[in-house]
Amino acid sequence: MKKKIMLIALAITAIPILAACRQTDIIGNTSIKSFEAVIQAGGGSIAPDDQIGGWALTAPDGTSRFVWSRDFSKTEFDIMVETDVQPFINAGLDKSKLPDGMVSGDKIVVGTDLGSDELKYEGDTTPIASYEKIVELYREYIGYHAALDHYGVDLTGGNMFEWAKDMRKNDKDIVFVLDPEVFLNAGVDPAKVEGWLFAKVSKMDEKGRPVEVDKFLKPFDIK
Amino acid sequence: MMFKHIERVKDLMNKETLKISGMTCAACAQRIEKAVGKIDGVASASVNFATEKLSVEFDDQKVSKDRFRETIEKIGYGIQEETVKRNVTIPIGGMTCAACAQRIEKALGKTEGVSRVSVNFATEKATVEYDPQRTKLSALKSTIEKAGYKALEIEKKAAVDEDKIRKQKEIKTLWTKFIVSAVFGIPLLYLAMGSMIWWLPFPIPAFLEPMQYPLTYAIVQILLTLPIVIAGHKFYSVGFKALIQRSPNMDSLIAIGTSAAIVYSLYSVYQISIGNFGAVEGLYFETAGVIITLILLGKSLEAVSKSKTSDAIKKLMGLAPKTAIVIQDGKEIELPIDEVEIGDVIVVKPGEKIPVDGEVLEGNTSIDESMLTGESMPIDKKAGDKVYAASINKNGSIRFKATKVGGDTALAQIIKLVEDAQGSKAPIAQMADIVSGYFVPIVCAIAVIAFIAWMIGGQTLIFSLTIFIAVLVIACPCALGLATPTAIMVGTGKGAEYGILIKGGEALETAHKINTIVFDKTGTITEGKPEVTDIITAEGITEERLLQIAASAEKGSEHPLGEAIVRGAEKANLQMLKPDKFEAIPGHGIEVEINGSHTLIGNRKLMDLRNISMQELEKESDRLAGEGKTPMYIAIDNRLSGIIAVADVVKESSAKAIKKLQSMGIEVAMITGDNRKTAEAIAKQVGITKVLAEVLPQDKSNEVKKLQAEGKKVSMVGDGINDAPALAQADIGIAIGSGTDVAMESADIVLMRSDLMDVPTAIQLSRSTIRNIKQNLFWAFGYNVLGIPIAAGVLYLFGGPLLNPIFAAAAMSMSSVSVLTNALRLKRFKPYHA
Repeated sequence: MKKKIMLIALAITAIPILAACRQTDIIGNTSIKSFEAVIQAGGGSIAPDDQIGGWALTAPDGTSRFVWSRDFSKTEFDIMVETDVQPFINAGLDKSKLPDGMVSGDKIVVGTDLGSDELKYEGDTTPIASYEKIVELYREYIGYHAALDHYGVDLTGGNMFEWAKDMRKNDKDIVFVLDPEVFLNAGVDPAKVEGWLFAKVSKMDEKGRPVEVDKFLKPFDIK
Repeated sequence: MMFKHIERVKDLMNKETLKISGMTCAACAQRIEKAVGKIDGVASASVNFATEKLSVEFDDQKVSKDRFRETIEKIGYGIQEETVKRNVTIPIGGMTCAACAQRIEKALGKTEGVSRVSVNFATEKATVEYDPQRTKLSALKSTIEKAGYKALEIEKKAAVDEDKIRKQKEIKTLWTKFIVSAVFGIPLLYLAMGSMIWWLPFPIPAFLEPMQYPLTYAIVQILLTLPIVIAGHKFYSVGFKALIQRSPNMDSLIAIGTSAAIVYSLYSVYQISIGNFGAVEGLYFETAGVIITLILLGKSLEAVSKSKTSDAIKKLMGLAPKTAIVIQDGKEIELPIDEVEIGDVIVVKPGEKIPVDGEVLEGNTSIDESMLTGESMPIDKKAGDKVYAASINKNGSIRFKATKVGGDTALAQIIKLVEDAQGSKAPIAQMADIVSGYFVPIVCAIAVIAFIAWMIGGQTLIFSLTIFIAVLVIACPCALGLATPTAIMVGTGKGAEYGILIKGGEALETAHKINTIVFDKTGTITEGKPEVTDIITAEGITEERLLQIAASAEKGSEHPLGEAIVRGAEKANLQMLKPDKFEAIPGHGIEVEINGSHTLIGNRKLMDLRNISMQELEKESDRLAGEGKTPMYIAIDNRLSGIIAVADVVKESSAKAIKKLQSMGIEVAMITGDNRKTAEAIAKQVGITKVLAEVLPQDKSNEVKKLQAEGKKVSMVGDGINDAPALAQADIGIAIGSGTDVAMESADIVLMRSDLMDVPTAIQLSRSTIRNIKQNLFWAFGYNVLGIPIAAGVLYLFGGPLLNPIFAAAAMSMSSVSVLTNALRLKRFKPYHA
């Protein structure tokens, strides 16, 4: 009987410990490995952006970038996607109808400020080390998209940057995802946005219900 | 007297009843029966699942009790020692320090028969567990005194009912297990289902989001499942053991079903851990956890209900007082009931209970024996009369000598009889047991077939596994095993409350089929004691004078008719005269001289023999004979002076009972050795039309046989030794309590009082019990017949729903509870005598 009580007590104690344990964060941990694979596959397209203070992964066609911060205390947007505004203008975009700051020069910028943590690295400051900091400090922004077998960084506002869990098994190695609502409100004809795919994507809503939502997608095979 | 019949005739075979532990369903009972039955030297083995008792008949030259234990333990069950251990708390005076407590502990611990002792210095009490068969409480007290301390008066009610404690402990353990599993099962279910039920008010914590933290989510589920599996570990230990021994039981079904869910879920966890996050959809820990929780709930409710089915026995056991006032060295000493010995003189004051059976030495009182016989009127007792344990002394103080103590008292014998009956199996139960024996392997086969069929049909592994688990879980034979014995337990217990002792399940079952009842006349329909009914006088003599002369002549007669006349005179307070001369004329009557008069008393033959003219009272004589009365002719000085008619009077309730039986559709007949005229007269009074008169005692059983040959189910109601063969021959023999021991030994049902209204009550009780059993079996069978195809996905095949294993577990648990609840309804049984 004593043994049984001990086991039950152990089970109760283990739950909060487990919750705090990073080892069991399988999505966070494996996302690091797969992001590293993407970085390695991306080769020369990964470069530091000193102006922003982060790392930039540029799409093979050069139209879009995913940028993540080296130090959250120094960047306005700690994670962000930049993409050319021209295809949207060609599809009827009225820039004045977009939220303030969303267009910067010839780029559309969507992103979020995770926090103002001053990041300190044990080793070299590398792109993957900076990504690890996001996982470590703002794990909730990293997700797994079962339908596409993708990991993703949530840029908030329905915008994402996703990459394949296993590039060998996926033809969409990286995907830039924009929420279409603001663009549609600003006069964009979604069918006419060149280089972007307007499609329905299945996901879970905030209450866990399976829903299908419209998205602008720009996928790339980088292998 | 009335309870002696219960003493058992010793057979060549030994009979033992052993308490079994670890059974969970009727299949377990079957398994034990089979295993014990195979032992060389065992004549029969019968296990009652409801009472958890094994009755075994065996040759002790060939096999010992230890062999039964070995066999039973080998197949995964246990034998509980039927210890008669008692716990007693003895207050102790004179302790001054903890060392005193130690000293007393040592002294008591060395006493033979003491198994555990604990002395608390703070409370100044010794708690002792002892075997009353090896030591007595007085010996314990004496040990304390010898050690130099004072054993104070024992707190009443210190002696406790071990069986009651065991049952309460079992219920408590089951509830604890259920609570533990519910505490973990509810969050487990919430965690598993919460993400699918979006309207739930409490969101699942972010760190447990299955799509965000699948491994944490899965491991937390394992941690929540683990205590539930521990709480339900018995299902696995017993279930797999039974499966390995190729005789699966209900536990095997639960064990296979939940293990399948757990193993598949563990595989999914492994998949998650290697990065296959989609496997989070393949976690079924909550299915296993909730199934175990619900079954533990069902088992807990079942244990509570089961304990209620033996309430009647507990009530009977509770009737006996715990102490007795015994005269020792001229002083009144209160002793625990176990210490009263045969020959002790006991004092019982008004309002107190009689502690043991005995014979009154001094005092007059009236005693309420209703708790034993159901007879509501108190019975007058004087010196020489017998008194019975648990009856209540109403108004006088008496002293009596103990003649039967402990297990020999009438109350103990009744308890034994009811316990035996409750432990016996009715034929309908045997059928249910046979079905249960085949049931589990068939269910396992159905589950496997359904699994394979759905897989071949193109369904996913998860779908097929769900079907497999649901079939195993829903098809528990628990309800099937409980359906009959629980109803019999409540039915026989209820009978005992009404003073109807039913000797077994078979008797209870057969009684409902009875369509013909044959009543013995004398002592059954009638009081069995002839009484003076009519006094007819010739000219010149008064009724009183005639009765006085006749009674004086018959004084000292052992003939029942003579005794009736004497009783009649005593009742009329007539003074007896002393006869000068007395001569018996065998087969005719007597001849006496009283006060110088020559008096003849006898039958008509005597009058004819002595040429006494009957003319004056001829008509009256014929009338009396026509009414079934026996006329006794009295001639004084060769002249007929009058007739005293004697008849056995009909019991007050006879006519009502017979009318009730007839209204129940039962044909009623009367059987007697008396002449047809007398028999028909009595039959007419009570409303019986079928009369079997002038039947010799040895032919009574043949008459019953003849009725049986006509295809009738016959019950014989009688009281005398001469009725015993007919009672044994009848499908149901009913002996009335005032009758002989032989009659009661031969009967299947004993009515503890002489009221014939108990005959329809017994039949009604049997009918109600059998109706209840049929309802139970209907639900138990129907539930499985309906449940298994639904669980196997038959409805789904035609576009209907699929049964979730969790709902299957809930339904399964409720089936046992519903069967038990239905059986407990019998406790409300009341005879309908309108």
